Amino acid sequence: MLYRVIDRADVPSLVAAFMERYEVVAPVRRGEKYVFEAVSDFDEIALDYPTTIASPKKYFLPATETLFAFDARENAVTDYVDEVRPRVLFGVHACDINGIMNLNSVFNDPRYPDPYYRAHEDATLIVGVSCTPTDTCFCHLMDSEEARPGYDLFLNAIGDRYLVSIGSVTAANILESACDVREATDADRAAFRAATRARQRAFNPAIPDVQEIPMLMDAFHEDAFWDELGGRCLSCNACASVCPTCYCFDIRDTLDPGAETGRRERVWDACTSPQFAMVAGGHNFRATPAARVRHRMYHKLNGFLATHDRSLCVGCGRCAAACKVDISPIAVLEFFERKGADDGE
Amino acid sequence: MSEIERVTDEPCAPRVVFIGLASCFGCQINITNIEKHLLQVLGQIELGYWQLTSSEPMPDAFDVAVIEGAVTTEEAAETVRRARERAGCVIAIGACAATGGIPGMAAPDITGCAAAVYGDAVPEACGVLRAPAPVSALVDVDFTVSCCPVDPFEFVRVLDAALYGSNRLAPTSVLCGQCAQGEGGCLYKRGQMCLGLVTRSGCGAKCPTLGRACNGCAGLSPDANVGAARAFAASRGHDPARFDEALRMFNTVALVAAGEGE
Ligand code: SF4
Ligand code: SF4
Ligand code: SF4
Ligand code: SF4
Ligand code: SF4
Repeated sequence: MLYRVIDRADVPSLVAAFMERYEVVAPVRRGEKYVFEAVSDFDEIALDYPTTIASPKKYFLPATETLFAFDARENAVTDYVDEVRPRVLFGVHACDINGIMNLNSVFNDPRYPDPYYRAHEDATLIVGVSCTPTDTCFCHLMDSEEARPGYDLFLNAIGDRYLVSIGSVTAANILESACDVREATDADRAAFRAATRARQRAFNPAIPDVQEIPMLMDAFHEDAFWDELGGRCLSCNACASVCPTCYCFDIRDTLDPGAETGRRERVWDACTSPQFAMVAGGHNFRATPAARVRHRMYHKLNGFLATHDRSLCVGCGRCAAACKVDISPIAVLEFFERKGADDGE
Repeated sequence: MSEIERVTDEPCAPRVVFIGLASCFGCQINITNIEKHLLQVLGQIELGYWQLTSSEPMPDAFDVAVIEGAVTTEEAAETVRRARERAGCVIAIGACAATGGIPGMAAPDITGCAAAVYGDAVPEACGVLRAPAPVSALVDVDFTVSCCPVDPFEFVRVLDAALYGSNRLAPTSVLCGQCAQGEGGCLYKRGQMCLGLVTRSGCGAKCPTLGRACNGCAGLSPDANVGAARAFAASRGHDPARFDEALRMFNTVALVAAGEGE
């Protein structure tokens, strides 16, 4: 990895350089919260944002995506619609970069590569930025507090400068052309270490650090805890809507008025949705909210590991903020914590 | 999903009738709001009967019955039963037909409501009143287009599903997930009480997106967790009695059926 130092004051010209060739998407303030959105000026960007309502997943897997257009009379595909645009995701936190890495490993699985996802991925540059954990952040417990691969540039804030990790030649060239790029000094390195220390200390200590999570998920599979969670789940899917790593979708056809032509679309779906596991004939393999919530937590904290060797949950904490009834991996970690400490459980 | 069973193999356009029961006709009017697409849609069907466009009486034979409005009289109940016997497919449109809607608010006490309006001389033109009910309380309904009023394009999609089949399933998850996709922030954070917690998704969270609380016009989801929703609203300072009162605007019939009416 190559590292360079730039001044904070150089970031606007970096963004401007990206804008010459790409759509720039960045965190912007919306009401009390923040969202990823296309920007046209550096001043719109809130680079020190805590987190966004929903993740940048939407730029790889849009909530609704047209796969192709068809002619219903001819029963033929008329157009593979291509809505991919060259884009820079500017200001992505480490958890989300790890989330995107998880999506990559799903959608680039050589057995079923997904050309639509791949097209978005190929057209997207990612510029990461260091962060300060919020109360619901627990990426450090999910091995996602650092972005190792997965970015083109990563801006580590060190006072009035950034220590920039460089991940791609394309981005390096733009960085060089737009900024006054320097070699890191000893002082920069010390400032970087101080920043990582401060960040480590900033995680919410109330979120328990639990070992052997995947095994615990199996061990307590039948625990009444899941009924407790299911009993208060609203079946709303807000958790999946905001999650960087929920990637399930449904495919459906939409006819245009007149029914002569139409589009095949994929739309987000989620295992918390009541009909998600309903099959032809009407049987529902996960007919209760308890079974659905447990399934979601399993995939996040256990199931994905078996095939991809890392936890699907990256600890971004968004579902903890979005769920109105306090269902999230944090609740599961707290449950495991109580289990050991309290014989009465 | 059910497709129309044709009595003859001869290619002819499916015959569709529109029936209006106790309603404001807003859903029917809204269908005409697809404007430039209206002729395309009408081109697919043979419009057998539509009070809005003609005063010809309803024919005896048709394939699809589109029903707007709640059943509030014995006469309407008979109309619905007859439509079911004749039509291969029944589509209920709008909150009135789907949940009882606004007329459904009178379900717990239709006699009292009639008396409050007419005194002790209910005019004959009212017909023989009965507790307002959604169409599905009387007959099997093949497709439902929710909301007050219906989204006209959703109506067209459902009509197409009835005519040609469809791989779409009406969701039973509640609204907050769609609302979260819009990233507008939850109205509870701004002190408003919103019924998206229990309302069937599908409208795309239209009202919260515009900054207004959901009234529940798409109907209570069969998978709604009303108890947990009430508790959440209460935790944000909204009296459960107010929550229930708001819910009664479009969902009285369902609440009465669940023993939570009054
Ligand atoms: S499960 Fe929750 S905390 Fe984990 S990645 Fe998804 S939204 Fe973030
Ligand atoms: S876990 Fe929470 S956010 Fe997810 S579906 Fe249930 S209530 Fe909604
Ligand atoms: S659902 Fe609403 S718009 Fe439609 S008929 Fe009933 S009251 Fe009118
Ligand atoms: S505004 Fe309403 S629909 Fe949206 S998240 Fe809040 S309660 Fe749910
Ligand atoms: S947000 Fe609620 S009230 Fe508004 S259209 Fe949707 S279901 Fe109806």
